Amino acid sequence: MHRGLLVVAAGAVVAIGFAQSDARDQFRRGQAAWDQRLSKSAIAAFEAAARDPSTAAEAHESLGRIYTFKGWLQEGTFPGWHDEPSYRDRALAELKASLAANPNRTSAQEALRVAEGFAAAEKVDSSPPRAEIKAMDAKIDSYRNASDAAVADILAAIEARTKAQADPAPYFTGAQILMDRGEYDRAVALAEQGAKASDRFIDENLDAYQMSGKSQGSYARGQATALDLEGWALFLKKDYTGAAARLEEAERLIQGQDFANEFHLGELARARSAPERAREHYLNALSLAAGPAPLRQAATQALAGLPAVASNAGDFDAWLQRELARRREERRQAALKSLVDRRLPKLPLMSIDGRPYDTSSLQGKVLLLNFFASW
Amino acid sequence: MPHLKTAYAKYQNDSGVAFLLVSIDEDEKRLQRYLNDAKFPFPAVRLAIEQAERLMGFDNVPSTFYVDRDGIVRYQVSGSESHGDSPSRVSWYIDQLKK
Repeated sequence: MHRGLLVVAAGAVVAIGFAQSDARDQFRRGQAAWDQRLSKSAIAAFEAAARDPSTAAEAHESLGRIYTFKGWLQEGTFPGWHDEPSYRDRALAELKASLAANPNRTSAQEALRVAEGFAAAEKVDSSPPRAEIKAMDAKIDSYRNASDAAVADILAAIEARTKAQADPAPYFTGAQILMDRGEYDRAVALAEQGAKASDRFIDENLDAYQMSGKSQGSYARGQATALDLEGWALFLKKDYTGAAARLEEAERLIQGQDFANEFHLGELARARSAPERAREHYLNALSLAAGPAPLRQAATQALAGLPAVASNAGDFDAWLQRELARRREERRQAALKSLVDRRLPKLPLMSIDGRPYDTSSLQGKVLLLNFFASW
Repeated sequence: MPHLKTAYAKYQNDSGVAFLLVSIDEDEKRLQRYLNDAKFPFPAVRLAIEQAERLMGFDNVPSTFYVDRDGIVRYQVSGSESHGDSPSRVSWYIDQLKK
């Protein structure tokens, strides 16, 4: 009888031990995900860890720190990211929950003091980029001008950086570097990885974008960047069919608004002996106020050399300025195009504090919609 | 936009008419202060400026759209000048769509 009880008691101890190590695992998973800025996974893991008394205090503190970042510090830390004020109260609540679980936890006391300071402040500066990530980016960048560096070293630097922080930027930088070295297949593979990383990173941080409804644009931009890089690598490999499919899909996603993509389409059309299409793409590229100076120069020179241009332009510079002005005006007109007599588009409206706004109560009514700004 | 408040007085008990302000502000605190001061009697929501410009195609702020019961945009009024400060202009558009 006694023996039996002991066995049961030992079993209970083992069960508690399991639960604790499970909570500890969850906590570590949360830390690893947050280091990579994979918010959704980090929050889920920390929430699980917060339910176990053995890790409650530290998990609540970690949640409080994530929500502090989301609420006050993430504006502009990644393209399209905005602060999410709806997280501010949750930040304070999590930090208080941490102290409720362990009143002597000094790191949580400190984090709460900081968050309360933010809550009282008129303006809080965004979080600066992390030094270790900046150093890794600089290392990848240094390979741009190191033609003797081993490809394996470049790939290792990219992998290290994407493990440290999961945004797709290093894949895209790396694809460009490898392309410059003639490593086209590897460049395509990196761009494809970048496309996956881009979608995942946006999924993981969706509400960082929703504040201003930017997530759709961000998905499209990430995919377009990858497709343009892949298409350009295939062009350089002289796979014009593969290049066309990717470059044109990128153009569709980015709505013809990317300098590099238009330039690449121009180069492709020129290589395929389609001078009129080439002319349109070069002009589109040059009419966008972007693109590095050497590429703009290359586009201008290629344009000047096209038979479709040389034949009808006596004075190239004057002709070019006229054409660019016309395109800019067309773009302006298109933007101005009135919606009158067209269906009101579905608008991803948000409440003032950033939650999705339900428009169903407006249906079937005469509606006055006034777009304004307080500035 | 005081004329909108004045015009709204005519429709506040009309369940067939709705007014909605859409802010394209980035700065939530500033917007909140503005709304606290203005005390509009109808709801205000937000939309990112890029989305608003892309979806609605206006280049002037404020811009006002009058939408009929079927969800079709019937009038677009750009800026506050052409709108005048006149509540009767606002109710003219709405009354056209209520016919």
